[in-house]
Amino acid sequence: VKEGDEEKSIFNFKSYMVQKANSVNQALDSAVLLRDPIMIHESMRYSLLAGGKRVRPMLCLSACELVGGKESVAMPAACAVEMIHTMSLIHDDLPCMDNDDLRRGKPTNHKVFGEDVAVLAGDALLAFAFEHMAVSTVGVPAAKIVRAIGELAKSIGSEGLVAGQVVDIDSEGLANVGLEQLEFIHLHKTGALLEASVVLGAILGGGTDEEVEKLRSFARCIGLLFQVVDDILDVTKSSQELGKTAGKDLVADKVTYPRLMGIDKSREFAEQLNTEAKQHLSGFDPIKAAPLIALANYIAYRQN
Amino acid sequence: TQSKSTQFDLKTYWTTLIAEIDQKLDEAIPVKYPEQIYHAMRYSVLAKGAKRSPPVMCVASCELFGADRLAAFPTACALEMVHAASLIHDDLPCMDDDPSRRGQPSNHTIYGVDMAILAGDALFPLGFRHIVSNTPSNLVPEPRVLRVITEIARAVGSTGMAAGQFLDLEGGPNFVEFAQEKKFGEMGECSAVCGALLAGAEEDEIERLRRYGRAVGVLYQLVDDILEEKSKSKNGGVVEKKKGKSYVEVFGVEKAMEVAEELRAKAKLELDGFEKYGESTLPLYSFVDYAADRGFKIGDSSS
Repeated sequence: VKEGDEEKSIFNFKSYMVQKANSVNQALDSAVLLRDPIMIHESMRYSLLAGGKRVRPMLCLSACELVGGKESVAMPAACAVEMIHTMSLIHDDLPCMDNDDLRRGKPTNHKVFGEDVAVLAGDALLAFAFEHMAVSTVGVPAAKIVRAIGELAKSIGSEGLVAGQVVDIDSEGLANVGLEQLEFIHLHKTGALLEASVVLGAILGGGTDEEVEKLRSFARCIGLLFQVVDDILDVTKSSQELGKTAGKDLVADKVTYPRLMGIDKSREFAEQLNTEAKQHLSGFDPIKAAPLIALANYIAYRQN
Repeated sequence: TQSKSTQFDLKTYWTTLIAEIDQKLDEAIPVKYPEQIYHAMRYSVLAKGAKRSPPVMCVASCELFGADRLAAFPTACALEMVHAASLIHDDLPCMDDDPSRRGQPSNHTIYGVDMAILAGDALFPLGFRHIVSNTPSNLVPEPRVLRVITEIARAVGSTGMAAGQFLDLEGGPNFVEFAQEKKFGEMGECSAVCGALLAGAEEDEIERLRRYGRAVGVLYQLVDDILEEKSKSKNGGVVEKKKGKSYVEVFGVEKAMEVAEELRAKAKLELDGFEKYGESTLPLYSFVDYAADRGFKIGDSSS
């Protein structure tokens, strides 16, 4: 019986993901319209609507619903975190950064629109994320929106995402990068925005401070989990399977978990993080927490 | 109205505010790990000789309505942060490819193109965060904070300064007017509007300051370009060439000076609607004349 239940919940999760991704895609499509100057907006939409997995928006919406909020109150924030994620990818792919030609199976933004437009489209997405949250979040007290905006801003700046990118750039080609530094990179480069996604959902959904902090701890675990799995996939999968250039970390001489602790130990570490993540959700109603638990499993067991 | 502004000592008002803004900006970006990103951010935001026009206009617009300037300081600092972010990205090799800014080497020539991109990417959110964390909630209710954030995001975004930079790079019909409006009018408009929003001004007052700020922003840049063109022809020398063309280069000094006078009149006409606020309007009037006449030196002359 138990196995059957699990199968059922996995099935439900798939339809849950499809439904959530659809509503996020729709919301993103209508948030960023083709306006003048057309080319900047085309460039913004090109990367934003390129069909990512929408993991961050889903975390945001699921956290909102877990604490009892309606999906609609967190939708602008869910779109905002995806806009920020997209913006960081556009800038990351630039020739002066990672110099990537391929992203989500398509030519990178600057390959299509040129470097100048790619920089501006990234800047514009960053700014619009904040505008969208401030203007389009309805049914939530202004104080909560302000708090959520503060959380988002902190997570993507020099104490968050950017800090991770800087240390990542510094570590390239260095022989003596340790676990501590690797963890700093990931906790900031990937973790900070995943954490913000969950925390924004929890704040806007009306969660108590205690609930927000529990969900923050959950998010920290899956942020690291996300990166460990990413590193493993980079070694074990082809470019086609990933939709981006595989083995890049090795070529770029980047430090990764498989490189520091081997594939097996990396997989063990991923298991451990997934377990720890779920422990942080133990205080919540298990039925309501099911989507976040399933999302953690998805992050742990995804193939691309 | 010329006499209105001569009663007011703009230079002292402005210089005093510069000192306060500089100190607050210095405190707002402490150096932490990883240090180089903070150095890159500080290099552009704390550039010596910066005039701090957006913050000063924001404070003056807030004080017009009798509000405490403490309400405006965090937003004033944020304006400088996002402005610096835009300028760092504008100077990049793939954009204007400008090796200098305010008489100093531009950010990427010192810190590298990758750090310059990231410094900009970090300064935009720092601006928003600074407003959220430091605006005194007893002076400014949250709905006003949200409107200020919206205003700034719009000003730097895809229909504001980013659009201006794009038009500057790509050209097209009438691009000179549009690019100048977007690149320079936007910041003036945003600064004046934010001050009014923080003070809780009425909608029609906000719109009035919107038109005022835009006119002053464009006027300021136009006069900069006129002065540059004049000194160029006086020296007969070649001035460093930028990718985008200025209004003066396209339409000539005479036409530009006509437009400048129109903008001066337009900006003052908007202020005439604030008669009931009496002397509080003086800083804003004298700004207009400063933008047009440059009656004194402020900050570093090379900036």
